[in-house]
Amino acid sequence: MALFKRKDELPIPPNDAEKYTTVCQYCSAGYGYNVYVWPEDKSGSATSNAFGVDLSKQGKLMSGFTYTETMHNVMTRKDGKKYNLAIIPARESRINKGDYSIRGGTNALTAYNPDGYTKKRLKDPLIRRENGFVPISWDDAIEIIATITKSSIDKYGADSVTMKFYDHGSSGLGFEDNWAAGKFFLSGVKTNYLSIHNRPAYNSETWGTRERGMHELNYDVDDARLADTVVLWGANAYESATILYTEQIMPNLQGGSVEEKKKAFESGEPAAEGFLVVIDPRKNATVTVSQDIAADRVLHIRPNLGTDWILANAIARIIWENQWYDKEFLQKRTDMKTFEEYRQKSLQAGKPLASVLADAERITGVPKAQMQQAAEWMAKPKEGGFKRRTLTIFEKGIIWNMKNYDQVAAIAQLNVLGHNVGRVGTGCGRLGGHQEGYVRPPAPTPGSIYAGGPPKNVDKYLTGGGGKIYWVGATDPYLSTPNSQFFRKSVKKRADALLDYLDNGGVPTEAKAYAAKVLEAFEKTGGLFMIVQDMYMTHTAADAMMILPAAGWGEAVDTSINCHSRLLRIYDKFMDAPGEALPDWQVLARIGNRIRALYEADGNKEMAERFGGMGWKSDAEVFDDGSKEFGDNKVAETDEAKLSPEYYVGVTHDMLRKLGNEGIQTPVRRDPATGRLVGTKRRYTHSFASKDGLFKWYGTDPWSGYPAEVAKYQNNATYPFWFTTGRSQHVWQTMYHDRRIPEKYFTLPLPYGKSIRKMQENWA
Amino acid sequence: MKHLSRRKFLQSSTATALLFMAGCKNPNQKGEKVSYPSVKIGNSKTLKLNEPVTFNFPDAESPCVLVKTGGEAVDGIGSRKDIVAFSTLCTHMGCPTTYSKKRLVCRCHYSMFDVSRNGQSYQGLASQWIPQIVLREDPATGDIFAEGVQGLIYGRIGNLKVS
Repeated sequence: MALFKRKDELPIPPNDAEKYTTVCQYCSAGYGYNVYVWPEDKSGSATSNAFGVDLSKQGKLMSGFTYTETMHNVMTRKDGKKYNLAIIPARESRINKGDYSIRGGTNALTAYNPDGYTKKRLKDPLIRRENGFVPISWDDAIEIIATITKSSIDKYGADSVTMKFYDHGSSGLGFEDNWAAGKFFLSGVKTNYLSIHNRPAYNSETWGTRERGMHELNYDVDDARLADTVVLWGANAYESATILYTEQIMPNLQGGSVEEKKKAFESGEPAAEGFLVVIDPRKNATVTVSQDIAADRVLHIRPNLGTDWILANAIARIIWENQWYDKEFLQKRTDMKTFEEYRQKSLQAGKPLASVLADAERITGVPKAQMQQAAEWMAKPKEGGFKRRTLTIFEKGIIWNMKNYDQVAAIAQLNVLGHNVGRVGTGCGRLGGHQEGYVRPPAPTPGSIYAGGPPKNVDKYLTGGGGKIYWVGATDPYLSTPNSQFFRKSVKKRADALLDYLDNGGVPTEAKAYAAKVLEAFEKTGGLFMIVQDMYMTHTAADAMMILPAAGWGEAVDTSINCHSRLLRIYDKFMDAPGEALPDWQVLARIGNRIRALYEADGNKEMAERFGGMGWKSDAEVFDDGSKEFGDNKVAETDEAKLSPEYYVGVTHDMLRKLGNEGIQTPVRRDPATGRLVGTKRRYTHSFASKDGLFKWYGTDPWSGYPAEVAKYQNNATYPFWFTTGRSQHVWQTMYHDRRIPEKYFTLPLPYGKSIRKMQENWA
Repeated sequence: MKHLSRRKFLQSSTATALLFMAGCKNPNQKGEKVSYPSVKIGNSKTLKLNEPVTFNFPDAESPCVLVKTGGEAVDGIGSRKDIVAFSTLCTHMGCPTTYSKKRLVCRCHYSMFDVSRNGQSYQGLASQWIPQIVLREDPATGDIFAEGVQGLIYGRIGNLKVS
């Protein structure tokens, strides 16, 4: 008996099947998919079908068309009828060319089917009473939440409402839901206690490069095929942005893109098989696979944990010493006033090279020869004096590293020193986790600790007894926030205190009476009212007072950009959400509109105004409304750096529907010469995103050892292992879908934990 | 139910279409199994440990491998339940996989399938587990017969629907 039910035949879509385009709901690569929907009782034939493929013959390897068991499902629409659903990797997408990963290949299996794997979706708004959750109507849910939120703002101030929401794209989210969440919490509530899905505050993980004038999404997928050298720094691309590796980096390493390079490079410039530098303390799957392809062109550097910026600076010093830089570029495009600080602090120009490298070797544990090799592969001019083309991609190993600002800044500066941004085959940015889709009113904290930060820490506020309402959207902080056990205990205690108070004498059933008793509880207990909007009953939701069922991917129209090309595409609606579930933008709009009405009834015009502007009728209207936040995009190509990375003014859902898998790359400009909307393939070719357009240098701090919190576990026999969480290519985030899909849970029943034997002898 | 050869099955496709749909909806019913041929592919007495034997099933365009792994496997046959067979077309994009250390490994994108675990895709890009061939051993002679497939063979709309 097979471990789970298998199929040995799949339904065929007839020629008149509904066809939609979408993008994978998962990782930053954002592969294009085509979606086919047709009534369960209809069928195409092997030779005449909506795929346009002859299915009567055995499919050939790497044909670009794949239809597996995991790419089909049956769904039920609101009309009560059953439909076949096929979700097929798009051959015509230049991102994936018909390729797909183990995650995206199961997109269809996540589709809601009352008899399927994801049948336990949330279908009704729920309220917690004495004996658990019971369904209530949307009208009651909205009345209660609007009343409690308004009263909490009025009595305790806006900061009594705290939130933790996504700010990203994919996962059934995008510009629409982000704009609505921004309007509600940033313009309406105006709380300072905002936090983003994976962190306790509302900040960036990459201020270190943004404050240099270089946003982290600046390259194109083509650059990964055209680079002389690709550097993956704390970024396990094969596992976590799989198709970027298999469709771009891997062909480069195999020599499959040499002809393309010859066409794209300058006349006479050498073009050869690519080199790869992987900087990661672990020997990850990317290293294993790459070494199998071309061991002599793969350099694996394994620095001591947290010492990456010292390594980056040492490599930069070698480049500086050898003058492997373009003096004219540095002088014209970068701020030479700030360069002096970089030269002194980061390059340590006052110290002899040998002594800088000896220090770096001692701190990082990386042999000098490897630093030399990396510097040569990254910046040593090619034969004929042509500049090398290096694309550097970093991710969690850097952005979640200690001393994040200096780590990110050091890598950005190492690349700009070699003019490795804004040219074909270059770039320096994130691999990304999820996709993006940020458009919101201005956040209360504008920048890093050097520019108005840090932002408020919501976790500390809540665990210290602050706040009355904690509103969580599409994230599961009980599993994912730092120090989550302590967080969970503290929040649970406060949530239970509130329920105990409500329970005393019976939880009122009528909406107004219920809200009134919650407000009484705020006054008399340290209770916390938690609201969770999600697709499933999450660990966090179990302690919520109210749970609002959210529509997922394919159940509403979303738009997002991927991370490796900033490619904006439509993620069309092809099915109905289960039960009463609604897209987040609609939920927030309904609550916002109700709060506005309550303030109008009070005669409070100012507050009513704050909750205005949420009268959207459709996803398309929300998208359009959000675009106005960006301002004018009528700028010349040479001024693209003046636009923030997600600018899409003028783009509409209808336009994206026509563009399908082709999409358009943000920032989108309205070209002053032609008046037409034009995408941006690669950023910072002409100037950087600073006031004067120059790259701003920063002098990093010297190595000062590990923070006390880390140091106390080092060289300590009681703690021979490091334990850390990890990622695996099989599953996505908290496994919210994957834990229900047998292809996944048989392989990986729980998220990864990794224990690493400490390299005691290497500790600096 | 009467045994049908693949050719006869295809010739009478109209008549069997309804039967097939029923089988598809309920793959563990007897209805499905009759559609596959029964093909002798080896003998448990002569099969050597970790020496894979290739064969085609259910037709010439579907390469498969028979192997004795030395360890108990899901749906394995033989006295040690360690004899299994699989399609060797990678379910990701149809590249050939090769047997090595209880795994089927694809060199195109490094997908790996565990032959002891029902063809589980445990590393790499393939989202569908690789199809396992249903085997039967004749207890008297030790002859091994391929008689069915669990899962869809790469590049096919149906395992028995390639002309």
